[in-house]
Order: sequence, then C-alpha cells, then structure tokens
Amino acid sequence: MNQSGRARTPRIAALLGLAMAASASIAEPVPPTGPHGAMALDAQQKRLNQLVTASTAPPPGIDPVAWASIYVPPGNELTADRIALGRKLYFDVRLSKDGTVACATCHDASRGFTDQRNVSEGIGDHLGRRSSPTTMNAALFQSMFWDGRAVTLEDQAKLPILNPIEMGHPDAASAMAGIAADPAYPGLFQKAYGRAPNYDDLGRAIASFERTLIFLDAPFDHFAAGDTKAISPAAQRGLALFNGKARCVSCHMINSSNPLGTDNLFHNIGVSARKQNFEALAQQALGALKDGSDVDALDKLALQTDMSELGRFIVSRKRGDIGAFKTEQLRNVGITAPYMHDGSLRTLWDVLDHYNKGGETNPYLDGGIEPLNLSEDEINDVVAFLFTLTDTRFAAQNEAAMRSQQAQAAKKRPFRDNALAHREVLPFEQRVLGPAGLK
Amino acid sequence: MKKTASLALLLLAAMVQARADDSVAPPHSPAGAPGSNTVKLCDNKTTVQISKDAPKTHAEGQKISDALMAQWQAKNPDKDWVKEEVEAHQVVTPEDNSKLVGTGQSSTYGAVSQQDVQVWNNETYKMAVYGSTVFHSGDELGSDIAVSCDMCHPRAANTHPETYPKFQPQLGRVALLRDMINWCIEHPVRGKVLAPDDPKMRALEAYILAQRKGVPLDYGKR
Amino acid sequence: MNDGKIPHIKSVETRHLEEREALFRGLHNLDRRAFLKISTGAAAAAVAAGVNYPFHSFLPISVAYADDRPGFNFAYISDSHLYVKAKNERFIRQLLRAVDDVNALDPQPDFVLYGGDLAQLGRKEELDVGAQVLKSLKAPVHMMAGEHDWFYDMGHRWNELFGPETYSFDHKGVHFVVLMSVQEKDFWTARGMSPAERMHTVAGLDNAVQSAFEVGAAQREWLRKDLEKVSKSTPLIVFSHSPLYKLYRPWNFWTDDAEDVQALLQPFDHVTVLHGHTHQVLTNRIGHIQFHGMLSTAWPWPYAPQGLPALTVQMNRPNPFDVSDGLGDGSATVHPDGLVDKLYSLWNRNPMQVKASYLSSGGKSDIPVPPTLSSY
Repeated sequence: MNQSGRARTPRIAALLGLAMAASASIAEPVPPTGPHGAMALDAQQKRLNQLVTASTAPPPGIDPVAWASIYVPPGNELTADRIALGRKLYFDVRLSKDGTVACATCHDASRGFTDQRNVSEGIGDHLGRRSSPTTMNAALFQSMFWDGRAVTLEDQAKLPILNPIEMGHPDAASAMAGIAADPAYPGLFQKAYGRAPNYDDLGRAIASFERTLIFLDAPFDHFAAGDTKAISPAAQRGLALFNGKARCVSCHMINSSNPLGTDNLFHNIGVSARKQNFEALAQQALGALKDGSDVDALDKLALQTDMSELGRFIVSRKRGDIGAFKTEQLRNVGITAPYMHDGSLRTLWDVLDHYNKGGETNPYLDGGIEPLNLSEDEINDVVAFLFTLTDTRFAAQNEAAMRSQQAQAAKKRPFRDNALAHREVLPFEQRVLGPAGLK
Repeated sequence: MKKTASLALLLLAAMVQARADDSVAPPHSPAGAPGSNTVKLCDNKTTVQISKDAPKTHAEGQKISDALMAQWQAKNPDKDWVKEEVEAHQVVTPEDNSKLVGTGQSSTYGAVSQQDVQVWNNETYKMAVYGSTVFHSGDELGSDIAVSCDMCHPRAANTHPETYPKFQPQLGRVALLRDMINWCIEHPVRGKVLAPDDPKMRALEAYILAQRKGVPLDYGKR
Repeated sequence: MNDGKIPHIKSVETRHLEEREALFRGLHNLDRRAFLKISTGAAAAAVAAGVNYPFHSFLPISVAYADDRPGFNFAYISDSHLYVKAKNERFIRQLLRAVDDVNALDPQPDFVLYGGDLAQLGRKEELDVGAQVLKSLKAPVHMMAGEHDWFYDMGHRWNELFGPETYSFDHKGVHFVVLMSVQEKDFWTARGMSPAERMHTVAGLDNAVQSAFEVGAAQREWLRKDLEKVSKSTPLIVFSHSPLYKLYRPWNFWTDDAEDVQALLQPFDHVTVLHGHTHQVLTNRIGHIQFHGMLSTAWPWPYAPQGLPALTVQMNRPNPFDVSDGLGDGSATVHPDGLVDKLYSLWNRNPMQVKASYLSSGGKSDIPVPPTLSSY
C-alpha cells in the first residue's frame, strides 16, 4: 500500500538537493562531543563566528516590520556590550550547579540551537519532560516555553538556571556566586549595564545575545521574493498544500511580517493524549478546580512531573487549554528534529502522518484538527516544502538531515494510520462504539 | 416569464460572446472535436461545439447563445429559475435607479431611458440570484459532503463582505472576499476552489454583497 | 525594536503565580459574585498594565461546575444533522465526539436528552446511523424529533426507531414534556413536490417556501390534557425542537402558535423550556417561563439580525478555520424547585453556564461569563 510513496521520495530528494546545492554552506566536520552530548563549547563558539556577527543592526533577511515587532523591555536596548556579555554567559557552564550545563548544552549551535534529543538532559543526567526548542529566532515569539509561561526572553533566560533538573542552582545568589570566580564579569556587566553583576542583568544580557540569533534567510524567502527556481516543483506543490488542503497555514501562517510561521497560540493536537494517563490527569485537574477549596492541591499536582502534559492549562487554568502547547515556529524545522513538545516525532514525515490522521483523539482536541486525507505524494510535497524553510547558512546540515529523516521514514512510519487519514475509520469511533465501529 | 427568459438570453449572450472572443473553452469542458471549441452554459452541463474558424462577431455569438438556450429550454420546460430561486430565498434587490430616467446631457445622446434602467436592474439582480442558487447548493459548490454556504450563513449572515480586504491571520495574508469564499469551499464545504473569474465565484460575491446593501464599507475591520 | 509595551520586568511566571495564589486564597472567604468581581478585576489590571497576552485571565471555570445545592443532572446532545458516512463523515465524527463527552461525565447524568435533527435529510439510513451511535450512550436517552428528521417520510422511520414524538414522563418530582414543535402546514401538495423536494425545502433554514413551525391544535389539546393531571406547583420542564417563542421568522427561529402553548404553561409555578434548532447559546424569559437553547454538534448558526432576547449573553462568533468551533453539548442541573442551571459545553472553549437565578433576577445576578476566546 505504501510502496508508491516510498518509491517517490528519492525523486523529491533529488529535486530538493538541486535547490540546496545552489547555496553555499558551512563545512560540516564531525562535532567533538562534550558533556550531555553537546558539541564542545569552544568548537560551538567557532561555529557561531561563522554564522553571525555581533551586530546591533537588523540581521539580513528580516522584514523591517518583523524587526520592529520584537519586544525589548525598556532598559535593555540592544548594544554590542550587552550582546558580548550575553554570549559569554550563554556558553558558561558555571551557570549550572555541577558545572556541566550551559545554555549552549541544550541550545547547541552545531545542532540547530537545540539538542536534537526527545527531552533535554540537565545536571546529574536528569531528563526533563520537554524537548528543548531552538533559540534561533526566539526573539520573535510572543511568549516563551512550550506553555508560554514567560513573556520575554529576559524572563525565560533566568528560569532554567534555577530549575532543579536543568541547571540546578538553588537561587539567584548561588548562580551569581558560580560566575564570580571569573574576574572578567564585573567589567563586562559594568560596560553593559553600568552596575555590578546581578541576576536580572544576567537575564537581560542573555536575552540580548539571543536577539542576534536571527535565521530567516531560507530558499522559501527567495521564492517568495520572486525567484521561482529557489525551491523545487515538489516544494512549490507542498506550499500550495500547506496553504490549502493540508490546512497548515491556519496555525502556521508564514509571511515576511510574521516570519516564524506560528500563530503564537496554544493548541491541543493530541500529542499528550498518547500518554496513558493524560485523560485521568485532566479529570484530576478539573476536579481540583471544580472544588475551589482544593486549588492548592492543583498547584501541588502541577509540580508532579506528569501534570506538565496538560501544557498551557497549568498556566491558564482554562479547560480549553488542556493538553495545548505553543505552536512552534517552522523556521529551520529541517534541522531541529525531533518534533513536538516531548520530541516524540522523529521526522517531518511523522509530523505529517500525525496531522494526516487528525492528531491523537482526545476530549480536548482542537476542533481545527481533522483528518486531512493527504496522499503519500502530497505528504512528500509538504515535507519538501518544510525543508525549504531552513536558513541557507545551514544548507548542508539541512540536506543531511533530510536524507537521514528520509532513511528513517523509509524504515518506519510509526504514526501513519491510513484508515483514519482517509476517513475510513473516524476519530472517536472506536472510543464510542468499540472495535466493531460503525455498521 | 417571457421577459425573464429573454433577459436570461441577454445575459447568456454576453457570457458566450466573451468566451467566443477569447476563443478559449471553459476549463472543465470535455475535449471537443479537433478544430472546434466547446462552449458551456453556466449550468456547467449544456455545451455546444463551435468551429475554431467561426468569425468572432456579435451575430455569431448570438447564434451560439441561441443554440445553448434552446438546448437548455428543451431540458427544462417551464423553468423560471429566477422566480423559483427568489421564492425560496429572498435576495435583496439592487438600487432601482429609476430616478435617473430622462436625465442625461440635455440631448438624446446619453439620456437614460426606462428600458436602460430595467436592463441594469434585471441583469444585476439576476447575477445575485444566480449567486443565491450556488450559495444554497452543495452540488453547485461541488461539495463532497453535501454542505452549502447557507448552512452556516443563512441569507449570507455573518459573512461581512464590507470588511474586506483584511488581514486574515489564519490565511497569513490579506484576504479578499473571494479568498475567504474559497477557503470555505475547500474546507467546511470540501469542494474544489473556484478561479477568481469563475462565473460561480462572481455570482457568489454578487449575492453576498447584495445581502449587505446599505452597509458602509469598512475594509480591514476585524 | 519596540520599547515600552510591557512596563515591568518581574518574572511573568512569578507574577502569574503570585496573583493566582492571592486570588484563590481570597476565594475561601468569598461568595461567587465577589469571586467574579475579583477575577474580572485581575483581568482588567492586566489590560491596564498593557499586557497583550491572555495571561492573567483568571475567569473562574470553577463557576461553571461548582454547585452545592442538591438536585439532579441531565445531559443533552442536539442537532447532529447526519448524512450517511459515505456522504459526510464529519458530522458523524462530531456526534461521536459528543457521545464520548457525555459518556465521560462523572457522575453520569440521570438521562440524556437528544434535542432533534439527528438526520440531515430524514433518510432511513441517516436516522439508523444516528440511532446506532446514540445506543452507545451509557445513560438512558429521551429522544426529540426535529424537522430534518421528519419531512422525508413524515416521521415514519423516526417513530419506528424511537416511538411516539410527543410524550411526557416524570422524573424525581419533575414533570417532563416532549413536544414535536416543528409541524408545518402543507406547502408541498399544491406544488406537486416529491418527499425529497419537501424535505430539501424544509432543510433550508432560510427557505421561504416552507410554512412556519407550529405545535398545532391537536398537540396543544394533548398538552392541555396531559397537564390537567399535574399540580401547578410541580416543576415543569418542556423540550421542544424550535424555540417556543417568536424570535426571527426568516430563519424559522420561531413557533407560530407559541403564545397558545405558553398560555398552557404559564399557570405552573416553575417552567423551563429547552429547545434545539438555533445552534447557539440562547437565553430568554417570558413571564416566568425560562428558555434555553442547545448547542449543535454539526455547525453553528449566527445570531439572528433581529429579535434576539435581551437576556442572551452571546457566545463568540465561531472561527471558520476551526470546523468544531461554536459546537458542543452540555447538561442541565435541575434544582429541587425545578429550575434549571444550563451548561453549554463548548468544545475548546470554557463552558458557559446560564443559571436559573440569572433569569429569575431578570439578568441582575449571576450574569454568565462570556467566553474569553478572541474573535477572529
């Protein structure tokens, strides 16, 4: 049944490859590995030098409207000194309690500024509950974290340092003491903020550095600007599907003034619902809310690791947000696998399979999610389009990722369910009617 | 009845003339005999073959129109689609313009006659009425799931044509009314999108705009 | 870059948790109205602070659930408009979703009301697939007929499957009446319409060829007799497919003999009418009769351009990019006095509750919290 789809992929790869090969890219030596599997930090810094210049000017490829829409809190206007301080902090393992984890450990410059793991590994090899999102273009988001609990990069940057299973400092003072050994910092903080080192300025500086990680110069942008050969015919068909039958655009609208390809909202697409206890957790949480006197209990429940699967609900306490997570950006999606908040989807083919079957059925499923009835050819076309959203500076990495994903997808498509995708079996049908289904 | 039929003829003649001038068969027409073009009536079923060498004159256009109309009337005796549609679905009537009768530039040339006003009015109304038939029919819309516009928009309620163009976040771009119509055709209705100049698209726009007669334009409003 | 949108830098996460803690601490000592006031205040403060994000909206969803008075619950599902699966699987899926919702209620409702328009074009196959799906409800079901179920075979298959369309029953001290309020005067014979044409005409909400809905003289007489044996202090709950009042004739949001039916109900101390057909959150009070609409599982209707009852707190305009938006199911809590708190469980939105006390007070107390989802 799936033979035709597999047979077609090499052709698409070839088409994509043609488009990719046209752009120059950075040589790709095997990255030396440091703690927690990240590339050694000095090697990362070298890589970074090839990618960006520490400049306060608008990065190449960004629309002036999008650049102007980046929120910068008063008092943290972008300056070269702040970027330099932030960059040093980003690569400083002393911000972790045991000296093994820097920002760059999970947001690795050699791995699409993420760690390419399902979920991230913190101090003491603790595994978190969520997949590390890329720091590329994060400045353009309206909220940070998968559940949007921080509004600014400044807020966001300070939290993992104090998270017991990420970087593990018990408090801000401990983190500041961690970097006090470096005699360079007081001068750098002074230059950047005109005062002695402190935790809020640390957050500000890291945010400043992250605002320079803008990677929006992709083949898709060249195509949108009128170069009809910038992306392959398959990718062009994929773009039409993206905007039409596949419905991606409803949440992932992408254009020059909203370049990320996100609606900045939160949707339940059912990823959490694959976990055995999701619905029981939701019932438990709603039950705690039902009885107003027990709200403290909900806070306690939220600290239990599994409750994080309720996503945005833990922040907003709205029923409609149960199991909802932030719409992730699509920029550079080819090199930031695995996908979804828990990293449970290995390839973009898996992502398309997930959406094609209408997500994972659960009582809180977003109503815009329904089976798409995409054919294998159509899936390949959309995937081909998604690989054109990677910045040209990562062209080689993107092509390697595509070949690797293609090989994985050829072996295994764990989320494919053609009966659901093609609407032969309906979501909710077996939950309600049992395995026999509709007569 | 007779008058309506003859007016219908005028409309068809105009449409067919445009087709003949372009020498292009409608996109979905079946392949005709070699050396000929297929001209299709707006019911999307009735067709005639015309020679590629046929002169592109008004008289020739009229012949094509007559042939199509004759076929249609043979298939639909006593059918007055405008009357039937209006009986079922109220369609707001256009501005009647009769106060213009007799005005002009103080000479016969350019003066407005009663007949002028009638033609304008009937033709305009008929376009909106045709739009109503498409709007209310899953079949006309090509719906795979028997869904039509009126199921969510009785009498074009909640369509707000006066707010276009506007940025439609879910489309990620500035949308015209027709873009939104096409989204609805493709998704809730599950039909095939229409070309911007498809007679059905033009008629749908006409019907939806007609129902909001008198509402001030307010483009960009959300 | 942009300055000055958010005039503070304190961890938003911290602030959020602090505010919420304060709110919920306060909750212990507050009645519901005071709680609402505080919640709204917090939202307003967030707006005043220029926060652009729907972050601090502590609109209390507990209000939609919490109630300490005794009574009983019934659930409802309505207006599913099924075609056969080969023609349209979406509407079947959405009914399945509603059944899944109701089956997940804990505790289970005493019964489930099906509010009419199970089928789209009244065909046997459509009614049969609906009957199969509804059979999997765990709680007992009371069926009501709608015009889409009826005008192909004039109720023949519906009656075979579900019994008489007009009936009454008593449950825990409440007298329930189910009417078939969508009778129409014969517009089809003179026009020589086939059953399919007749059904198709009635199925178009804005189709003016059909006549107005009515309960009709025979059924009103049945109702008069049925109510004769019921004491005036017995709580009365009436189910009708069309609203038992006159809202907007061009869409048949209307029952032509509504006043006559209301006259039969007015002598009772506590009367509530639940109706389908309007596919939206809809609330009215006439005399002391309280009226509630039901949500559809198929598609939402816009609000009528005229005649909307003043007591209706509207639901947000549905988002056309979300084919399930504005849809859902719900339940009703019947208090010992027979009055009903009506819950609209809108999919992917916070539920909306319209309490009997809101209607009894003429809209002064317990004002429903409108959904906070932004318009599109």
